[in-house]
Amino acid sequence: MSENIQNKLLGFITRSFMVEREEIDLDKSMIDEGIIDSFGLIEIATFLENEFHIKITEEKMIRANFGSVHKIVSFVKREQTQ
Amino acid sequence: MSKETVRCTKCILSSAFPRIQFDEKGVCNFCRNEIYFTTENQSIANAREQITNLLNEHQGKGQYDAVMCYSGGKDSTYTLMLATRQYNLKVLALTVDNGFLSPVAFENINQTVDALGVDLITIRPSSKFFSPLIKASALHDIYNPKTLTRISSVCNSCISIINIAALKLALEKKIPFILAGFTLGQIPANSIFYKNNYTFFQESREPILNKLRNLVGNEVDDYFCISDDLIESTESYPYNINLLCLDDPSEDEILAEIKKLGWISPKDVDGCSSNCRLNAFNNFVHTQKMGFNPYELELSHLIRRDKLSREDALRKIAAQAEIMSLKPILEQLGISQQEIEQL
Repeated sequence: MSENIQNKLLGFITRSFMVEREEIDLDKSMIDEGIIDSFGLIEIATFLENEFHIKITEEKMIRANFGSVHKIVSFVKREQTQ
Repeated sequence: MSKETVRCTKCILSSAFPRIQFDEKGVCNFCRNEIYFTTENQSIANAREQITNLLNEHQGKGQYDAVMCYSGGKDSTYTLMLATRQYNLKVLALTVDNGFLSPVAFENINQTVDALGVDLITIRPSSKFFSPLIKASALHDIYNPKTLTRISSVCNSCISIINIAALKLALEKKIPFILAGFTLGQIPANSIFYKNNYTFFQESREPILNKLRNLVGNEVDDYFCISDDLIESTESYPYNINLLCLDDPSEDEILAEIKKLGWISPKDVDGCSSNCRLNAFNNFVHTQKMGFNPYELELSHLIRRDKLSREDALRKIAAQAEIMSLKPILEQLGISQQEIEQL
């Protein structure tokens, strides 16, 4: 399940932000790494809502959930199982 | 940028643009990304539906439905017209006067708000703060390289001030929507509307703010941040909506409509701006530093959507200012010619 979420997310990131898969450190902040900016966060949040049919409320938009690819994947997984 | 600049044969992205690759026909990877177009059309359709639902839910419940970031340029003038006439929104227009708006832009602003019956608030940041901010934005590496693919550093500083001023106003007056005149190409298609979660975004901007505080001073917080008291008293953040992305008109269509309001085209701005005299300077600095014009991405997007011809787009960016013509602006900002040439 996690692998499927991660693959879809990475597919979106590589396509939307014109980066290669190898350039993405799964444990680091994509903002800190210069891959996305704050608009990128909006794009990713919208993608997650549409692709995984989850609702991302204001209190869930925190660095603990969006701080890296691994954190985003864990967040989506949690939301789907609730 | 030299006359020999290699550009995509379909759009105007140049070889200096980050991550660009050309095929054997000289077509760039951005033009070849077919998935992108499908996704974009889906995003627009999705945004239209959700914006309609949001407007139905929140419209007409307070003194104003929306704060409009209104620069007096063609796109924000058209958006203000859409908001009031097509969507029947009660709008409070907000203009941030950066000290470099064309006098004609002010005439356009007054003419338009009068024609549409809209209230207007104007904010003018002190030049003691603004000039050092612009100087720091021009001469130092402040922003994420990703941001600089679609906007110049100086424009981004100015727009950040506008965005924060609009959010502050919306929170203080409990206004549910913030409108801006961004077009597709200036913003990603799945950001046509979004909830403006200040705390979330501000966390990601902290490294940028620290650079600006170091270069300009802690006064940066007055213009780039919102007080803890206001944030703590906020129950829900407003939605930012870019209505122009839903309408998706061509430049000719925009101009034809806004001229009916009495809008006239300023002559003292460059080919990519319709209100700000600082834009030529911004583009010069950006091209000098990054090797490409900050409007390449937006104009290329308009070409792909058949909203602008490649020839017209090339014409817009061709009139690159010479450094000598920027002398009055450099003096006003306290920047030497040498500092610019060394970028």
